[in-house]
Amino acid sequence: MKNMMMLLLFGLLSLTGKAEEGEKMKVAVTVGMIGDVVANVAGDAAEVVTIIGSDVDPHLYRPTRNDVLKFQQADVIFYNGMMLEGKMGDVLMRMSRRGKPVYPVTEELQEAGGYVLNTDSDHLDPHVWMDVKGWMAAVDVVEKGLSKQDPSRKALFAKNAAAYGEQLKELDAYAGKVLATIPETQRVLVTAHDAFSYMGRAYGLRVKGIQGLSTESEAGVRDIEDLVNFLVEYNIPAVFVESSVADKNVRALVEGAKAKGHQVIIGGELFSDAMGKPGTYEGTYIGMIDHNATLIARALGGEAPAGGMQNKLMDVEKY
Amino acid sequence: MIWMEMDTWIVLVGVTCAIACALPGCFLVLRKMSMMGDAISHAVLPGLALAFLITGSRSSLPMFIGAAVVGLLTAVFTQWVSQFGNVDRGAAMGIVFTILFALGLILIVQSAEKVDLDASCVLLGNIEWTPQDLMNIGPLEIPRALVVLASVMLLNLLVILFFFKELRIAAFDPELATTTGFNAQVMHYLLMIMVAVTTVASFEAVGSIIVIAMLVVPPCCAWMMTDRLGVMLFLSAVFGALSAVLGHMAAIVVPPWFGFDDSASTSGMMATVAGLLFMMVWIFDPRRGLLGKKVGKYILNRSA
Repeated sequence: MKNMMMLLLFGLLSLTGKAEEGEKMKVAVTVGMIGDVVANVAGDAAEVVTIIGSDVDPHLYRPTRNDVLKFQQADVIFYNGMMLEGKMGDVLMRMSRRGKPVYPVTEELQEAGGYVLNTDSDHLDPHVWMDVKGWMAAVDVVEKGLSKQDPSRKALFAKNAAAYGEQLKELDAYAGKVLATIPETQRVLVTAHDAFSYMGRAYGLRVKGIQGLSTESEAGVRDIEDLVNFLVEYNIPAVFVESSVADKNVRALVEGAKAKGHQVIIGGELFSDAMGKPGTYEGTYIGMIDHNATLIARALGGEAPAGGMQNKLMDVEKY
Repeated sequence: MIWMEMDTWIVLVGVTCAIACALPGCFLVLRKMSMMGDAISHAVLPGLALAFLITGSRSSLPMFIGAAVVGLLTAVFTQWVSQFGNVDRGAAMGIVFTILFALGLILIVQSAEKVDLDASCVLLGNIEWTPQDLMNIGPLEIPRALVVLASVMLLNLLVILFFFKELRIAAFDPELATTTGFNAQVMHYLLMIMVAVTTVASFEAVGSIIVIAMLVVPPCCAWMMTDRLGVMLFLSAVFGALSAVLGHMAAIVVPPWFGFDDSASTSGMMATVAGLLFMMVWIFDPRRGLLGKKVGKYILNRSA
């Protein structure tokens, strides 16, 4: 206790936030999708810390003291931006104004304009990773950011980024291929919240979320009823739940459709704002998108191999 | 435990916020309006919605102004409802904040449905973030939240020192206050303004849970230990400060005991520690405590 008090008193003077000098660059990222890109582009050259873990909703995440410490100790920070991280984004921007290299990975898309979906005048849809082509822009931002931080490894980062880009192209082609096998009238994706607009635009699906863009707003009874009528009218076979959002509204849809004599199943659990468990294939960006595309295609009457693009998917059917 | 510069700032912000809230909190507790902070935290929603409708942006300043205005209105409406509706103050708060909250929800659904306008997203701060948001005061770099909260704390302290007698009479005996020549209503509104400004400023700086807890728990601890208002104010500030210091330490130290390698939420832990302190006072206080009373009697019997 005495020690603590001393530290409390002199913490201001003696200890500053600097971590010991290591060879590896320390990179802190907000969500796993970005962490995966950084890990692929940096290879062994960086140690990546992901603040918001799997199965967690980034709109609502509240950082603890250790999270702040991790940001502070990082050499470079990447985050998504467009309010995905709520108020955390503002704070990270403030850190960047104080000299820390901080990059929102969607910044190039935002600057280029055109690509970004607006839901309202000022409100941008942050779920860019749902379209693999959109996420390729994130690879560029990460590559540039890392190269600026460590110019000596510039060639390595460029090589890794190119190799990863190739994998993403393959993934994009796979997603496009399997989703195109869904019968045209059934190309409708009904999910718990509005996270899939980019995916819908890229691969030709109509997208309907029960909740609005943010996971905080509640769905009204009318919204549910409208969606039930829609499901019945267009004979949609499946709706989907998300790993990071409560599923009660989706269940209400299934019940509602049943009451009108239309059988809708829950097609499975999609990864929307967070990836699967670390260490699994679904815990990578490619695995996440592979999972989503394969699951959607199979549940809506299309054709896709049960193992997905690389036959690595586990239990796609189980929910 | 590794203590960083950041931690010192977080604790300082926590202590300042706790004292700023505990001071007006004493009067709230005495007047049986303890949940005013909670009421305001819900009632600000229409303020956020209107501020968004008027300015079309979700930046901090309009949100803060909207919240502050509605916070004040909550206090005023509560007074009206309890005065003219002749209902108990707690019930009046319940009526006012639920209606305002519902109004806020309707406003959002009608006009801003596609925008995330929840208080946790646009208004509430986070005490862990405060050391990252610095401003220059002379040669020093100080967290903005600390500057804001210290000003609020000083303001509260000055108002209480200056109107101590009036506030005291108004809190305990409003009729007497009116007969002695000043209006107890005016004192009440002054107090409510103080509470509204304190809560909304603190919400923006550090989030809601600390504020709600610090308005109530430290004054309650203090009230158990004394009947004198001056002592109560002082003790509540001490309990508030203690909760803040121990709370942040607990947030760092406690999770590893249970095998988690992450830290816990500082604001949550501050509220928890305040609760534990209350329990200790409740058990050990020499005059009214559960155990303290028994020990006191025992000593008294022995010496008799």
